[in-house]
Amino acid sequence: MPAAGTNKAQRKNTRKPKFQADLAPVEDRIVRSLKEELQLSSNSDFMADAIALFRWAVAERKRGHKIISESTTGEREVLVLPRLERVAPEAVLPYVNITWNEEELESLMNLALAEPAQPTEALVRAMRG
Amino acid sequence: MGVIVRRLEEDDVAHNFDCNDDALNNYLKKHAWSNQQKISIGVTYVVVDESASKTMLGYFTLATSAIPRNSFPKKHVRGLPAYDLPLILLARLAVDHRFEGRGLGRLLLREALRISLSVSEQVGCRCIITDAYRNKVSWYAKYGFIPLEGGGEDKPTQRMFLDLRTLKAALKG
Repeated sequence: MPAAGTNKAQRKNTRKPKFQADLAPVEDRIVRSLKEELQLSSNSDFMADAIALFRWAVAERKRGHKIISESTTGEREVLVLPRLERVAPEAVLPYVNITWNEEELESLMNLALAEPAQPTEALVRAMRG
Repeated sequence: MGVIVRRLEEDDVAHNFDCNDDALNNYLKKHAWSNQQKISIGVTYVVVDESASKTMLGYFTLATSAIPRNSFPKKHVRGLPAYDLPLILLARLAVDHRFEGRGLGRLLLREALRISLSVSEQVGCRCIITDAYRNKVSWYAKYGFIPLEGGGEDKPTQRMFLDLRTLKAALKG
């Protein structure tokens, strides 16, 4: 039988972190309204969905994808959220798609998973020059 | 001749640029600026003479890309993290033939590699890829680029790979 102290420590380790936020009255109304529209019964469910959506948005922008809303008539609006733009790679370099064949991918994988090659003398001289 | 490398600007003079390759000449003259500023599919850096700072002597273009995880051979996918493989594409690199032999290609490549390292620290990248003309493969190989298998001799270019860890090692010594 494990010691009582061990169980207590385990319970402490598995305790879920609490998230508390101060909302302005208008934000509180928005949250309540969204919860109603989305038929979410708890703040935890609301947070879980909000996190999932935000996580997706961050991942898309990290890949260089734009987040676009398109109306039924084809008018498009691009979501530009300043904080989201910080993770976008095209702030530095834009994103392009490259075509690969299977052999190239196999070869690339073998190189990427192997120990890196030693730098050549020319590379060392160029980078330190 | 003092030279500087900087990002392409709208009023840079490209019409005289000639690297003896129509595709590379046309890219700089017709597409580089719009690709950079309007449709955002590549950032071009140019090398210019300090005394004639609008005349381009050479250039390179960089972009980021990624390989979807599920496109890798199945035997590798299991051991991979659940993300696409991010990389940097050295899309173009050219020097005006009238300025060949002055180390401008090396200078441009060095800047491209330095920018790649900086980008990799900001957004995470695993390697640099370039599609080298076959007569330039040995030049890239000298700087550590490794030819990937499967390019096919019929293709005009050879896909080459440089591990960013190799690049970091080159800086550390």
